[in-house]
Amino acid sequence: METIYQILHTTFANVPAWAVQIAAFLIPIAFIFGVYPAIFALTTLVERKALGRIQNRYGPNRVGIFGILQPLADGLKILLKEDIVPRVADKFTHFLAPVLIVIPGLLVYLVVPVAPGMVAVDLKIGVLFALAVGTMSVIALFMAGWASRNKFSVLGAVRAVAQVVSYEVPTVMAGVAVIMAAGTLSTLTIVQRQGGGLLNISNWYVFRPWGLVGFALFIIGGLAESARCPFDLPEAESELIGGYHTEYSGFKFALFQMGEYLAGMAMAGVTVTLFLGGYMGPGSGPGLAGGLISMLWFFVKLAGMIGLNIWIRGTWPRLRVDQLMGFAWKVLLPLALVNIVAVGFWHFLTPRPLAWIITTGWLVIWFLVLTKCNASAKLEKREYRYV
Amino acid sequence: MNIPLGHYLILAAILFAIGLAGALTRKNAIIVLMGIEVMFNSAILNLVAFWQYKYFAVPTAQLFAIFAIAVAAAESAVGLALVIAVYRHYKSVDVDEMKELKG
Amino acid sequence: MNLAFWIISAVTVLGALLAVSLRNLVHCVLALILFFIGIAAHYFLLRADFLGTVQILIYVGAVAVLILFAIMLTHNVTGTDGPREILGVKWWSGAVIAAALAILLKKAILSDPLAMVLPAGDKAQSSVAEIGRALVANWVVPLEAIAILLTAALIGAVVIALEEIQKSR
Repeated sequence: METIYQILHTTFANVPAWAVQIAAFLIPIAFIFGVYPAIFALTTLVERKALGRIQNRYGPNRVGIFGILQPLADGLKILLKEDIVPRVADKFTHFLAPVLIVIPGLLVYLVVPVAPGMVAVDLKIGVLFALAVGTMSVIALFMAGWASRNKFSVLGAVRAVAQVVSYEVPTVMAGVAVIMAAGTLSTLTIVQRQGGGLLNISNWYVFRPWGLVGFALFIIGGLAESARCPFDLPEAESELIGGYHTEYSGFKFALFQMGEYLAGMAMAGVTVTLFLGGYMGPGSGPGLAGGLISMLWFFVKLAGMIGLNIWIRGTWPRLRVDQLMGFAWKVLLPLALVNIVAVGFWHFLTPRPLAWIITTGWLVIWFLVLTKCNASAKLEKREYRYV
Repeated sequence: MNIPLGHYLILAAILFAIGLAGALTRKNAIIVLMGIEVMFNSAILNLVAFWQYKYFAVPTAQLFAIFAIAVAAAESAVGLALVIAVYRHYKSVDVDEMKELKG
Repeated sequence: MNLAFWIISAVTVLGALLAVSLRNLVHCVLALILFFIGIAAHYFLLRADFLGTVQILIYVGAVAVLILFAIMLTHNVTGTDGPREILGVKWWSGAVIAAALAILLKKAILSDPLAMVLPAGDKAQSSVAEIGRALVANWVVPLEAIAILLTAALIGAVVIALEEIQKSR
C-alpha cells in the first residue's frame, strides 16, 4: 500500500493527501475482490474440464465455446435456487457459518505480494498473520455442522475440524523453516531474498534440500486445510452425504464452495511466496516493465500450483480418517521437525558443498526411517487354488 | 493516539468484573470456564498496556504475556477435560448438582 | 486513532457481556470469539503485533474449538442453559459483587498519577527477533518450564477424559 501511495502521490501531485490515501487503500482491496473471485470462477471451469479429460471424457462444453460461459450459468442457477433452512436449525449460526468461511480465505491475500512492492499490507509479521487467519476457518466448519442439527453434519464437522487442526501443525513448521532461512517474517522480504542468482530462479527456496521437503509438506498441508482431495473426507459424498454442508442450498452452498476454493488458492499463493520465489523470475525488477513481468510470473506460478492441485484431485484416491490422522501426526510432524534441524545445519556449515551433502543426507535418512516405521503391515502372499 | 493509561486499566477492570459476574452467576460449568477465560484475558491486557506505556525498552512484559497465554490455554484444556469426566458421572454439567465428593 | 480505541473497546465489552449472559451455549461461544478478536485488536493497537497474532492463533484457533467440542460432548438436549432467574438471589449477588469490584478498582486506578501517562508512540517497537532472543537467552528457564507444563497438561487432559471410557467397558 505504501508503494501505491507513493506512485499516486507523485503522479497526481495536486490532489489532497487524504484523497490519495483513500485511493491507495481502495486499489489493493478492489484488486483482491476483483481478481481472486474471477480466478475462482475460472478455476471451477478449468477443474471440471481437466478432471473430465483425466477421466477420459469431455468436461462441460455446451454453454459456450469450450464451456467458457459455464461459471456464469452456474452462478445464475445457484442464485435462483430456493434457500431452505431446516425448521429445527439454529437460525443465527446457520446463517453466519458460510460468511465466516469466506472471510479468512480472503484475508490471507492481504499479505501475498504480486509484484515488487505491491502487497496490500506489508506487515512485519506477514507469514504469521496468514497462518493465524487460516486457523479461523475451523470455527466456521464446526458451526456449519452443529447448526444443521443433523447427525451426519456433526460427524462431518468433527472430522473436518480434526483434519484441519492436525494438518496445521506440520504446515506451520514447514513455514518456520523458510522463516529461519530468510530471517524475517515479512512476505515481501522473503520474496526479495529469493531474487538474484541465475536468471532470478536459482535462489528459490524450493531448490534447496530443506526447501524441497518443506515445499512437499506445505503442499500436503495446504490440500488438507482446504479439505481437497485426497483429504476430502469431510465432504465425502459416498459416506456422509455432504458432510457439514448437507443442509445448505442456494447461495449459501455457493459461498461454501467459494470459501473452500479461495482457501485452497490462498494456500497456493502462500506456497508460491514462501517456496517458489513469489514474483521473481527472469526479467522481474522494479519499474513498470519489470513490475508487469513480475505480476505475470506470479500468476503463472499460481496457475501452476492450482493445476497441481487439480491433477492430484483427479489422480489419487481418498484417505480414510485414521490413515489421515496417522499420516499427519506420525510422518509429517517428525519430518517437519527434522526439516527445521536441517535448516540449522544449512545455516551454520560454511563450505557450501559440505552443507549440501550433510543436509541432504540428514533428510534422506530421516525420511527412510519414518516411512519404514510407519509402513502398514505387508499382506501375505496370496495362495490361489484352482478348484 | 492519546489515550492515557488509566483508560486501559479501567477497561481491563470492567472486563474482569464481567468475567467474574459470569463465573459467579451461571449454572453451566462450561460458561463458568468461559468467564475464567475472560478474566485471564483482561489481566493480560493490563500487562500489555503497561508494556506500551512505561516499560517498552525490554520485551519482558510481552514474554510474560506469552507465558500467561500458554498457561491459560493449558488450564482451560485440563478444566474442560474435568468437566467432561464429571459429565460422564453425574450426567449433567449443572454446578448446583455437583454436591457430593464421594463417587 | 482515539476513535479506534473506543470502537474496539465497545466491541470487546459487548462480546464479554454477551458471552456470560446468553442462553444458547453456542451463541455464548461465538460472543467469546468476538471478545478474543477484540482483545487481539487492542494488542495490535498497543503495537504488540506478535502478541496479537499469537492471541488469534491460540485463543480463536484452539481454545474456542476446545470449548465447542466440550459443549458438543456434554450437551443437554435443548442446548440451552435452562430458565434464567434474572431477579433471583444468585444473579443479584453475583452482579453486585462484580460491580463493587469494578468500582473499587476504578477508584484505585484513578487515585494514582500513573493513570495519566500518555502512550509511548513510536518509541515502543517490538520485533519478533527481539522476543525470540530474549526467550532463549534470558528467559530460557521459564521456556522449559512452560514446555513441561504443556506436556503435562496434554497428557493429563487425555488421561482424565479417557479414563471413563475404559471403566465403562
